[in-house]
Amino acid sequence: MRQPLSTLFLFFFSFLSLPLSLSLTTPDSDSQAPQDYIHAETDYQEQLHLRPLPRAALLASFSFRSNTTFSEFTSRNFRLFPRSLGQILSYANTRELHLRFNLGRWDAESWGSRPWNGAREGGTGVELWAWLVADSEAEAERKWVVLTNALSGLFCASLNFIDSTRTTRPVMSFRPEGNHNDVDPGKMHLLHGVLPHEVVCTENLTPFLKLLPCKGKAGIASLLDGHKLFDASWQSMAIDVRPICVGEDECVLQIEQTIDMVLDVDRAKRPRENPIPRPLPSHFLPCDTSKPYHSHDTCFPLDHTRNRDWSLTQVFGRPLKGACPLSNPSIPPICLHVPSSRKVFFAGVAAEQENERENIRCYHLSPEEEFNLVLPPPELPDADELDLVVPPTPPPLYAERSFTGYGQERGGVQALLHNPSKAEHVSFIYFETLPWFMRIYLHTLTARLIPNNSTTSPPKDIKVKESVDLIKKINYRPALDRARPSHLELHLTVPPLSTVQLTYTFDKTILRYTEYPPDANRGFDVPAAIITVLPDDSSDPSAPSPDSNLQPRYSLRTTTLLCSLPTPDFSMPYNVIIFTSTAIALAFGGVFNILVRRFVAADEGPVVGIAALKRRLMLRIGGLLKKLGVKA
Amino acid sequence: MPPAPTTLSFNTHRARSYVVRLPLFTRAVLATIILFWILGLQTWWDVRQWGALIPSEISFATLYRMNTFPFIHLNIFHVIMNMLALTPLLERFEAEYGTLTTLALFFGLMGASIWVFLLLGMEAIRTYKTNPYFVLGTHNIPTWTTPILVLFCVSALVPSASFLGHLSGLIVGYVCGFGYVKYLAPPEKILRWIEGKLNLLGRLPHYVSVDQKTYGRFGVLPSTSSPVPPAVGLVQAPLESTPRSKRDNEEVAGLEETGALERRRHDGATTGALRLRRDPRIMKLPPYMSLLFVIVGVVWLLLLPFDQYSRRTYISENALLPGQVHTYFSGSDQNVLRAYKHEVNALVGKSNVQINDKLESILKGIGLKTARQNFTYHAAGHAISGQNLYAILQAPRGDATEAIVLVAAWENAKHEVNRNGIPLALTLLRYFKRWSLWSKDIILVITPDSIAGPQAWVDAYHDAHNPSQVAGLPLKSGALQGAIAIDYAQETRYDSVHIVYDGVNGQLPNLDLINSVVHIARGQMGIGVALQEMWRHTDSYQDRLSTMLRGMLKQGLGLASGPHSSFMPYHVDAVTLQPFGSGWHDEMAMGRVIEGTFRSLNNLLEHLHQSFFFYLLMSRDRFVSIGTYLPSAMLVAASFTIMAIALWVKSGQPEKEDGKESDDKDVSTAVVERDLFLPLGVVILCQSLSIIPLYLFNHASETFLTPSFLFFTLLSTLLPHALSFYLTSARNTPATAQHYHLLKSFSLLLLGMFLSSLATLNFSLSLIIGLLASPLTFLCYPAKTALGRALSMGLLHVLSPTTAVLLVGLAATQSGGLGGVLLEAAKAWHVSGTWTSLVVWCVWWPAWIVGGVVVLGRVGERKVKTL
Repeated sequence: MRQPLSTLFLFFFSFLSLPLSLSLTTPDSDSQAPQDYIHAETDYQEQLHLRPLPRAALLASFSFRSNTTFSEFTSRNFRLFPRSLGQILSYANTRELHLRFNLGRWDAESWGSRPWNGAREGGTGVELWAWLVADSEAEAERKWVVLTNALSGLFCASLNFIDSTRTTRPVMSFRPEGNHNDVDPGKMHLLHGVLPHEVVCTENLTPFLKLLPCKGKAGIASLLDGHKLFDASWQSMAIDVRPICVGEDECVLQIEQTIDMVLDVDRAKRPRENPIPRPLPSHFLPCDTSKPYHSHDTCFPLDHTRNRDWSLTQVFGRPLKGACPLSNPSIPPICLHVPSSRKVFFAGVAAEQENERENIRCYHLSPEEEFNLVLPPPELPDADELDLVVPPTPPPLYAERSFTGYGQERGGVQALLHNPSKAEHVSFIYFETLPWFMRIYLHTLTARLIPNNSTTSPPKDIKVKESVDLIKKINYRPALDRARPSHLELHLTVPPLSTVQLTYTFDKTILRYTEYPPDANRGFDVPAAIITVLPDDSSDPSAPSPDSNLQPRYSLRTTTLLCSLPTPDFSMPYNVIIFTSTAIALAFGGVFNILVRRFVAADEGPVVGIAALKRRLMLRIGGLLKKLGVKA
Repeated sequence: MPPAPTTLSFNTHRARSYVVRLPLFTRAVLATIILFWILGLQTWWDVRQWGALIPSEISFATLYRMNTFPFIHLNIFHVIMNMLALTPLLERFEAEYGTLTTLALFFGLMGASIWVFLLLGMEAIRTYKTNPYFVLGTHNIPTWTTPILVLFCVSALVPSASFLGHLSGLIVGYVCGFGYVKYLAPPEKILRWIEGKLNLLGRLPHYVSVDQKTYGRFGVLPSTSSPVPPAVGLVQAPLESTPRSKRDNEEVAGLEETGALERRRHDGATTGALRLRRDPRIMKLPPYMSLLFVIVGVVWLLLLPFDQYSRRTYISENALLPGQVHTYFSGSDQNVLRAYKHEVNALVGKSNVQINDKLESILKGIGLKTARQNFTYHAAGHAISGQNLYAILQAPRGDATEAIVLVAAWENAKHEVNRNGIPLALTLLRYFKRWSLWSKDIILVITPDSIAGPQAWVDAYHDAHNPSQVAGLPLKSGALQGAIAIDYAQETRYDSVHIVYDGVNGQLPNLDLINSVVHIARGQMGIGVALQEMWRHTDSYQDRLSTMLRGMLKQGLGLASGPHSSFMPYHVDAVTLQPFGSGWHDEMAMGRVIEGTFRSLNNLLEHLHQSFFFYLLMSRDRFVSIGTYLPSAMLVAASFTIMAIALWVKSGQPEKEDGKESDDKDVSTAVVERDLFLPLGVVILCQSLSIIPLYLFNHASETFLTPSFLFFTLLSTLLPHALSFYLTSARNTPATAQHYHLLKSFSLLLLGMFLSSLATLNFSLSLIIGLLASPLTFLCYPAKTALGRALSMGLLHVLSPTTAVLLVGLAATQSGGLGGVLLEAAKAWHVSGTWTSLVVWCVWWPAWIVGGVVVLGRVGERKVKTL
């Protein structure tokens, strides 16, 4: 098997016309320019970036990217592009597809900016958006149904539940990432749907890995173990398919699959046979010996000094089985982001490539050898945390969203959007899809600038009275009961070092009896708000220019919310049904009896009793005897 | 069943005659039932077990059960109800069929509530044959359906009524009524022979002979099913008397009377209701009914602790699975706990902010997100201010949609430092951080006190706070699903845990939460559990009753009893756990209890909703639910409404002049115009005056509280006298008796209305106020003599709202006497939003003032206009 694969591999290389760019595409670099997508027209590359984060966390970003030319795709000549997905895309006339599986939440305060600047993640649950080519909206919706149903089967997710009540058509938030110059813009339809309550688990990972050329058997994908992946504090799986063009007619279809996860090193290092976090034996507990009360049975724990050392095999539970032979050998499969002062060991055949300025170390692996990376404990046991990790860059915007109010009649939503930057205004699109049973009142939508508690006062030119101007543009499509969700897109600007409080109120609807899902008392998940930070030079976000240079600077999702609706006591209807059925049955029996029975007075009717019975019996017997007698 | 003729007008003489004439078998049955009930009172022989119809127990040797089961009842109510229901029916049956037939039928067959339905069924069919429909509006309703309705009513209203048993009795009754099983009855020939041989007629008193049978008092059955014309009744009377024996004259007279009544019934079918209304006796009834309601309400409450009326607790929500997980909080975590305890002990006596600084550094060291919140409440000139510290443990794989809260107040309600609770909470959070199984965020809230701090935090969490008093929360998580507060100030080891569960305004947490804690503490950890400060609970009637009454008193006062209380208004179920006693359990065991509870709450898919929210706990594993206890408060509230209605009717009748007995007919038809202005004005005035004490006691500063209360008490004592003086003397036309009736009617109507709606929200408060105000129903008639007036007024003063507050103040010496009580009430009003003071001043006080006015009232001499 190895021999044919390597010949195929060489074959690809002989075909490469462009020199391979050796610049590393890291998940944090904001170089999302189209040039970067085109390393080669028909190649496959994979890369894992490991970035230790403060508080014994480890961000692992896997990316797998393969290209296929349009001509090959249309002639159904699938080699690296997964056939199952390709067929779905062509059947549903999908030009560009973005599918996200997300779990947990990103802790922006400790971990900083999101990987890929938030471009490769979705809200909690499953999120899907795609550009479909269709002549009319109705046709686009039909295609969308086809697409969601097909993807639902492919990824073992309930994507088929993305129906019209969960589908929106965002106007400002999303831009196509690929080139669609060959399609009439009027025929491109963007549809977007979210399933916030979908629990992402191993059954979604398996089909995801099957799409890869090396199927999780070799290369960095061999590290992906469901137990570790879904024990992560935050994880995101993404699939992006987009057409990329260089020049006039050199177009390729690119599929990029990424998995990002933040591992808790303490949890990840726990052996799989014994995952219970029993208390450490007291002599392993790192204690603050400077405390006066410190003794053999009293210990002030120094938790932050633990779990600064790890190895690849430890945290992923399995070794890295060499490089994927199909991948581009010039791209190093593993890169580690640690300060250059830290010692790193590796086991196996590999070539280390260090970029001290950017604190990146990359390793070229051989396809045959297993590889392990070991980060030893720091030399100084109580070294400062920030010296051991590359300091995270702060994100351009912090967002937090929560419900206000209580009770089952009405509620409110409050979003706090904080701009940490000292000088720059942040301009962004705030996009919410609200289920139809939350009837929002748009007139209550207010954006208020909250005075900041920090000593540095906001610049003079921003006054509170201007806060009404924070909302530059509103794009709102009201909900239709049981047909479509509310769609709210806002273009907002937050001045430097300040927080904007966005609030609105809504009424809760009483659902029909059959519309309640199982476990209705849990509440209903409201999808995450999608915040797309616009590039500084963009003037009007509502006019999407075909030039994809204006990709969003950063995007982030808030957490989902749980909206509790008035819920009936479900045992009650059953009690009532049983009770009324009994009553009706009894009443019916009586009424029926009266209807079919003729009533006569006691003295009119035939005498009922033993004597009458006897007489009738005797008559019968007599008759019978007579018959017999006649016969005889 | 159509109304029995005897209910039209009750006559003691007739009743006596009825009882005396009860036939033999009926008497025997009644005597047996009573005998068996008395037998059942003793404890050494379980009569129910012996004689009840238990299908699995029926064998040849125990066939006696087929006959004994009707005599055996569940309790005294069952006995009385069945006897009342059975007597008239059985009496009729026996009178018709003779004693021997009855004996034979009922002792081969069946029997008491079953008998009732059997007989009802037969009666109904018989009535149906004579009188097939009764008319309700435009609908003809067949009369045979009435027993079915009765059956449904009984099975719906009476707990543990055997629907199936009654139904089969009813069906057999129908069948008998239609004469299908006539052949089961012994042949008359044999009966006559037995009678003749034994000379039963001569020997037994009250024996109904076979010949003596009345064949249905309504005579021969008509052959049509059209409504019986009145003439039939007239014809029936002579027919009836023919087969009757001449032996018992009394009976003849009685039966004739019945026949006559029957005729009257037919005559006045349309005027029956009117006649009932005209009956002067009906107006004498309401005070007795009202009194009966109050007494039944109180007795009802006292019955609740019995096994028959209370139920064992059970876990209703299957997802909770309490005590099903291993708890691992032990080992080296204890070393950490000791260290944290040293840290906390070093902080005792420091300022709120210093404490929070240190605790925040520890929490940050654990790796949690922390935030703080300042609050300042103003009540009675006091500023209650502090700073809450809270930390969120984000569920490792969760999505911030749900959260559970652990509250540890720095000081408990008795102002003791939570020396063990705070270190335990810190250690627990550090331990919880290691688990990845949390589906909900865990929030640790450390508040400076037990009442205001948690209230400020919960209010701000739901954005229901007043921003001028309470700061908003900078950090939030998802919807709160439950909260556990630790109040662990005790330094020594303990043997039991005290669960405090009373919320503000008598709200209670879901019973599942309490049951889970009990289950985990007792079942899994072997730690005792106590409720309502009943440190020793022997599960006797007295202990159950006092647990219940303590619970009701706390519920009625509606004060916050711990950090958990503030969570209840937001539908977050919460309890406080307080270790007490001396035993061998240590902090780690307490930690494991909380760990187990949190694991249970973590299992929840839905918000706690399965179990009861309205209940009274008798002991840790017995409770009564709202359906059982609510009638008690409702009856007390209804006693006011009944009197109000009676007084309204009375006010519309012309006054009788003394000495002259006016003709019945004239009085009943006469209607008097009601003068509503004065009574309504007085009631509205009193209701609006009630704003004054409410505002005064909630807004006066502490130094003025006691003097202003005393001054108000004085005014409140004088107010009825002043008002009464105005009504009787100062006006040109003094108030009439009708005015007083209306005045009292309106006041009681309002009181009844308020209390019955309050009973569904805060049962205990409604019951307490209802009982304290119940003299208003009975005392407040305009007294005739000055002495009567003085006595009634004296009693009213003893039972006034001001006296009650004064007495509570005197009793509460611990919390600073009267001033302390008023201060607490003002704090509760401003901080927790307790509305007990609203009920006292705006519901009870105005009713009391009007009551006083009525007692002092003297009827003026004014001729009432008669229409």
